[in-house]
Amino acid sequence: MIKNVWLITLFTLREAMARKVFLFFAGISLIALLGLILVFSVVGIDTFVDIANQSGSKGVIREVVNSIQLIIINPLAGLCLLLAIFSSASFVPSMMEKGNIDLLLSKPISRDQLLLGKYFGGILVVFLNILFLVIGIWIIVSLKFAYWNYSFLYVSITITFAFAVLYSIIVLLGVATRGSILGMMIAYFIFILLSPLLYAYFVEFKSVIENDVLKAFLDGLYYIVPKTSELTGIITINLAAGKGVTEYQPVLTSLIFLILAIGFSIYLFRKKDF
Amino acid sequence: MFAIETNSLSKIYSTSFGKKKVNALSDISLKISPGTIFGLLGPNGAGKTTFVKLLLGITYPTFGSGLLLNKPVSNYLVKKKVGYLPENHKYPPYLKGRDVLKFFGRLSGISGKELEVKIGELLNAVKLTEWGNVKVKAYSKGMMQRLGLAQALINDPELIFLDEPTDGVDPIGRKEIRDILIEQKSKSKTILLNSHLLSEVEMITDRVGILNKGKLLREGSVKELTEKKEEYKIKLVETEYNYGKYSDQNTLIAKNSDGSLSVKVNDVTSLNLLVDALRKDNILIKEIELQKSTLEEMFISLINESEKNSL
Ligand SMILES: Nc1ncnc2c1ncn2[C@@H]1O[C@H](COP(=O)(O)OP(=O)(O)OP(=O)(O)O)[C@@H](O)[C@H]1O
Ligand SMILES: [Mg+2]
Repeated sequence: MIKNVWLITLFTLREAMARKVFLFFAGISLIALLGLILVFSVVGIDTFVDIANQSGSKGVIREVVNSIQLIIINPLAGLCLLLAIFSSASFVPSMMEKGNIDLLLSKPISRDQLLLGKYFGGILVVFLNILFLVIGIWIIVSLKFAYWNYSFLYVSITITFAFAVLYSIIVLLGVATRGSILGMMIAYFIFILLSPLLYAYFVEFKSVIENDVLKAFLDGLYYIVPKTSELTGIITINLAAGKGVTEYQPVLTSLIFLILAIGFSIYLFRKKDF
Repeated sequence: MFAIETNSLSKIYSTSFGKKKVNALSDISLKISPGTIFGLLGPNGAGKTTFVKLLLGITYPTFGSGLLLNKPVSNYLVKKKVGYLPENHKYPPYLKGRDVLKFFGRLSGISGKELEVKIGELLNAVKLTEWGNVKVKAYSKGMMQRLGLAQALINDPELIFLDEPTDGVDPIGRKEIRDILIEQKSKSKTILLNSHLLSEVEMITDRVGILNKGKLLREGSVKELTEKKEEYKIKLVETEYNYGKYSDQNTLIAKNSDGSLSVKVNDVTSLNLLVDALRKDNILIKEIELQKSTLEEMFISLINESEKNSL
């Protein structure tokens, strides 16, 4: 029943608000937006706009707008993901605490619905945070340059999707270990280290490696590990530039990973004794 | 139809990576009729909580099965008609008392005006009206317990599971909780009550089951379980007399300090023969009383007996 899942989603949102981390991030976003307004009102970007307009082509101004937006969103989205991993890691373990889970399971809600509600709740929190930031940046920059780059709004979706994939690992390990530490560590490891390295291997160093076994191993690893590096990188950049999704492979393999991780979480959660 | 019906319900927990096995519940077959208050009694670790958790799908049985309101326990929708107060329940500390009731009410399928009215009623019933808008992290233990009871009743359930409902509640609060339970019974709700407080259980339950080490030792009405079948107390007008001559292998007589006689007989016929003999000697009888033990006495002797047998 969708109603049950939605109810848990909403209460997870509430739990997140109580955690303060997301409020902290919303505060940072707000400061960043105000800073942006301040910079725009002080610095004479008007001359910059004029140059862009003089060159006569819409393409140039679009590129300028797009790069400014990306330059601002990039560090903030990274920070948002780091904080989101940290604060969402305890959603599932805290739900499974003695005294809490007993009560939840005594209600007319299935275990699948309960876990899915927690999953969507975490995603919704991150989506709302990112959306606030993306829309804020979009409006401010667009107003300034009088050019509305609608494609930039896709950024909120790619970043949320990247989080959804990482969060599926956190949920899976949360159910399996009843704790938040392992899931959090692995999510950070993939996001900060493994995914960027594997991406670098795949596009740059593949030809350098001679050992076939190692190559096969790294290839396999590349396809299995969620591609947060590409999702928050090249795919986001191309989408924002209005080029659409230029490559589906990273999206699809990450989506398959997400579905398998959540499917397995549900399977484990169904079997658990509390 | 029974409110609760179990068939050889059993649970074995394995701990320390399967090294140690605990028979938390062995082969429990129970039938509880609608409209009863059933007390499940037993020492710590007897399996009372495990029994409730199995019925609510919180843990799964190793063997056996159970029905709630005629539906298998695996059917989660039956819980629309169930309320539960777990032991050591926890609520998110950032929620207010009222929000806790709202959340669990909505989860149980009620909402809107109906829910608001119900929340008001229940906060009043558990004497927390003034605390409804305070965050639960500021609640005392007894207040948490009262909130827990209100939460268990939020969906007006047919079947109510209460695990130590009066734990940490003061005597007046306990009386109030008993009154709430009696009121629920008058609305023909079924209540399963886990408790150690035998004198309290005695006051309100219709039937009790006694568990020890996962086994159901006895089950029956409080009256049945506390009656000592063939023991009587006979009060006489005169207290100085030689009663020894009335004893024989069917009739054991002992004199109490107040001069009355404690009599153990094999059957009612022996009792009447004794009365005949006393009357023949013109001894005046004031009163004959069937002896009863308290639930506590019965409980302790039963548990001791079962411990002895298991040695
Ligand atoms: N999750 C678990 N894992 C392993 N053993 C368990 C678990 N839960 C309960 N047990 C064991 O099962 C037995 C029954 O426990 P249960 O909690 O049902 O007892 P109880 O009658 O409710 O006791 P109390 O009066 O202390 O609440 C105990 O020996 C306990 O150690
Ligand atoms: Mg218990």
